[in-house]
Amino acid sequence: MTTTYDHDALRELVALHAIGALSPSERDAVDAHLATCAECAAELRAFAPVGMALAQALPQVDPPSSLRTAILDVARHDRHARLGRPAAKVPVAYAPWLAAAAMLVLAAGTTFYAMSLQRRIQSLESELQEARSRIDEGERRVQVALRSAAAAEAPLGVLTAPDVRRIDLAGQPAAPSASARAFWSRSRGLVITASNLPALPAGRIYQLWFVTAQAPVSAGLLTPDGRGGLTATLTTPSDVPNPVALAVTLEPEGGVPSPTGDKYLVGLAN
Amino acid sequence: MWLWAALAAVGDVAGAEIDRDLVRRMAAGEERALGELYDRHARLLYSLALRILRERADAEDVLQEAFSQAWRQASRFEAARGTVAGWLVTVTRSRAIDRLRQRRLQPEGVADIERAAHAIPDPTLGLDLQLVSAEQAVRVREALAALPDEQRVPLELAYYEGLSQSEISTKLNVPLGTIKTRMRQTLRRLRDALAGAVA
Repeated sequence: MTTTYDHDALRELVALHAIGALSPSERDAVDAHLATCAECAAELRAFAPVGMALAQALPQVDPPSSLRTAILDVARHDRHARLGRPAAKVPVAYAPWLAAAAMLVLAAGTTFYAMSLQRRIQSLESELQEARSRIDEGERRVQVALRSAAAAEAPLGVLTAPDVRRIDLAGQPAAPSASARAFWSRSRGLVITASNLPALPAGRIYQLWFVTAQAPVSAGLLTPDGRGGLTATLTTPSDVPNPVALAVTLEPEGGVPSPTGDKYLVGLAN
Repeated sequence: MWLWAALAAVGDVAGAEIDRDLVRRMAAGEERALGELYDRHARLLYSLALRILRERADAEDVLQEAFSQAWRQASRFEAARGTVAGWLVTVTRSRAIDRLRQRRLQPEGVADIERAAHAIPDPTLGLDLQLVSAEQAVRVREALAALPDEQRVPLELAYYEGLSQSEISTKLNVPLGTIKTRMRQTLRRLRDALAGAVA
């Protein structure tokens, strides 16, 4: 169905035509009318700068410099294709040239398409790179989370081990009010919590020992917090001889192979 | 009443003549002329395409298509039908709107997320002064900003989003006749704002 418009109706549409806001059927009707109506043609010219102004009123953004190069490259290829194009009437002998020219024209079109694709690919590659970075970051966070989870799980593993043993440690004359409790599993390690340990002198650290029938075996180093408390999970050698006791001594920083300092905590292993 | 149009045209006469000369040289196959035309108008056209499509890669494609078309059709440009700049703006807008319509037909999904990621925040307002005078451009921007939403929104939906008047009517839930009236009023106001700058 075709809508018909009178002069007044068409004149009303001219302003919208000037900014390209008409439907295709309205546009066709106005275009046909403009050819015969000077008044409406003048109206269109009067509104023409409005469309331009709407574009100019926008925040202006510079295109990337690569775009200029790409556009000029297309023109260059297209010009080469154009120069290769033969005249309209071609003797049969020039048929191969016609084919060649056709190929060049096709090549120009293909070049434009290829360049468009190439820019798209570059854009996608950069997005892919960003996505990969995000994935790497995500994986890194997962690893951190897994390590945190593993760290949180380790004491639980010791506490729930079938071979876990509890050993209470009492303060010694060097620290009468200190106390500690250790849970030791030969298969999974040792968890110790302590309180009221004196602050460490400079260059010193607490060292935990398995006291065995033979020489004492180090179970690890301990650093209390500012209030003399600590909770630590230690990996202990599974081949340690059956301990008769656990002891904490004050030793040089870095630890020593066998105890040298005062005992601060001692607990008998039952 | 129409004095302003003549004056505006006079103000733009030098630029328009430079553009026409460039198009003539393009028609003769001179690539450098295309480069000069690009330098004169790419910023304006890119800003328009970017506003419509809101994605840099798409805006770049549209500019490439528009200048490619200008290059191929340079010999067919008719000065009587308007300025080169107006022609470029029309071609760019029309290609950008076509692309926007195609996009609307596609299912929503990754492309929308991609666009959201590339959404361009409005930088400080800058004006390209090659086509209309600084005063005119400022007046139009001020006139646009001063418009009540009920007048500005339909115009923006028509010009920057390419919606038809009936689509705007549906989208805003306002009768079609009202939309038509408001848009005409708005365009007259902008035309008068342009006129005011040279009156």
